[in-house]
Amino acid sequence: MTASLIWWSVAIYLIIATLIAWLSRQKKPAARMSGYFLGNRQMSGLVSALSYSATTYSAFMMVGLAGLTYAGGVGALGFEIIYFAGVSLVAVFGPRFWALGKRFGFVTPGEMLGYRYANRRVAMVIAVSNCIFLIPYAAVQLTGVGYLLQGTTDGAISYNVGILLATAIAILFSYIAGIRSVMWTDSLQAIMMMLASTLVVFLVVQGLGGFPALFDRLAAEQPQALTVPGSGLFSLTTFLGLTLPWFFFSLSNPQVSQRLFMPASLGAMRRMLLGFLIFGFIYTLVSVLWGFSALVAFPGLENADLAAPRLLGSDYVPHWLGVIVLIAIMAAAVSTIDSIMLTLSSMLSRDLYANLKPGVSERRQLRVGKIVVPLIALLALGFAQLQLDLIAVLSVAASSGLVAVVPAMIGAFYWKGGTGAGALASVIGTTLFVLALYATGNALLGLPAGIWGIIVASVLFVGISLMTKAPGERAEECQAAMDEVLEKPVGRAARSDEDG
Amino acid sequence: MPRSKWIWGVWSLVLLSYLIPYTLLTRVQAWYGSFLFWTLVGLAVIALNVVITKDFKGK
Repeated sequence: MTASLIWWSVAIYLIIATLIAWLSRQKKPAARMSGYFLGNRQMSGLVSALSYSATTYSAFMMVGLAGLTYAGGVGALGFEIIYFAGVSLVAVFGPRFWALGKRFGFVTPGEMLGYRYANRRVAMVIAVSNCIFLIPYAAVQLTGVGYLLQGTTDGAISYNVGILLATAIAILFSYIAGIRSVMWTDSLQAIMMMLASTLVVFLVVQGLGGFPALFDRLAAEQPQALTVPGSGLFSLTTFLGLTLPWFFFSLSNPQVSQRLFMPASLGAMRRMLLGFLIFGFIYTLVSVLWGFSALVAFPGLENADLAAPRLLGSDYVPHWLGVIVLIAIMAAAVSTIDSIMLTLSSMLSRDLYANLKPGVSERRQLRVGKIVVPLIALLALGFAQLQLDLIAVLSVAASSGLVAVVPAMIGAFYWKGGTGAGALASVIGTTLFVLALYATGNALLGLPAGIWGIIVASVLFVGISLMTKAPGERAEECQAAMDEVLEKPVGRAARSDEDG
Repeated sequence: MPRSKWIWGVWSLVLLSYLIPYTLLTRVQAWYGSFLFWTLVGLAVIALNVVITKDFKGK
């Protein structure tokens, strides 16, 4: 692909996306935190669904999952399906988050936990822990875009120009109208990701003789790819280590759990969840089929991450479509980065700054949040530029480390005995534990950090909570607030069931 | 049964997603093995979520 073709495509994408971001603005610019970071809790179901999908599915799917399928076979599908099933947690926790957010005006999940456990330090610690894992994760997304552009243009667009471009676009999309412009541009990006990747699969599979031929050749030439543990990559331990932390993704990752505060109604939340599930199901199958197709068409690649680029550069995919997919992969990375930036900014401003300086006004918090957005972006850019090994390690550790908050989150809704000290110990302890484990080779007693993370977090949360006094009044107050807001129709249905 | 109880259906499917492919299907080297199993699990998860969230109302 020539550099000029790619530059033109980037320019067209940017013009359309910026236009959409501009149109998403409201007449009056947001003056409150909930306006800028939560879209005034008035987001519609369709936009929420598309944005949730684009934020969740980073550039990992088309490059990483295809590569994982290429290297390890059908286990990659199992991994994604278990993660996908985990998003059902939204059906259980979503209404509770939403109700408490509406009642108490929470902007971040950490703020909610700080209130529930009557301990502001909980919110502060969660903000710091999330930054430790998510900024490197965003940096790695940038790295992906850099390599992709450099690789496909034979260096005409350099790595540094690539990451700078993606950072600038992410800042632009966040700044135009906060979460509103992020969600609307996400929607465009989700549609691009879906259309481009599906079209590629159809063309490639057709080129290989259709679906029956693809699977016949797989069964004949690469039979181990159709089973687990298959070639050995997906041993049950590895599989558990991968799937356990990702199962909790919808609760553990603040850039998606914060979304539970945003829908205009529970109906909108339902449309968000179901829309995401349909999107995710198709997108998962498509990405896995990319990997299978590459395995049949180009067996023996040295590096499995080259499976997707090799497929795109092949004769099966016309040039114009290759360029669109390239832009779609970049869009997938950008849509993940800008959401992470915005969420972390809201956490640093609301949970850290406002707690360190009690009584600070909403307006001031918002100003600080807006200043932090580009700072986080620059930090991620700096990390991406340095290409430190440490950053890659932190990014891989992200899914395990973010699980730190999960027991405290479940406890907030289901266990009155949970305490602020328990939540603090769980988040701090698990963060340090996961970092130490990754620094020393990612295994303890033969089990990976992905499995240990949730165990350590749960033991610390329950153990320390049992030793300390629970804020019973707060638990009651939150329960009463949820009952009140959810009175109809969820509460009523539940009560009539109990009666009967 | 309250609709929310159907979430246990999802959690059971997750458990089966570990058990079945790593026991019964380890030798089925064809599309109708683990590939079909996990695909059907995905569809069932969608269906269960439709049921669980049926009472979520409002525009």
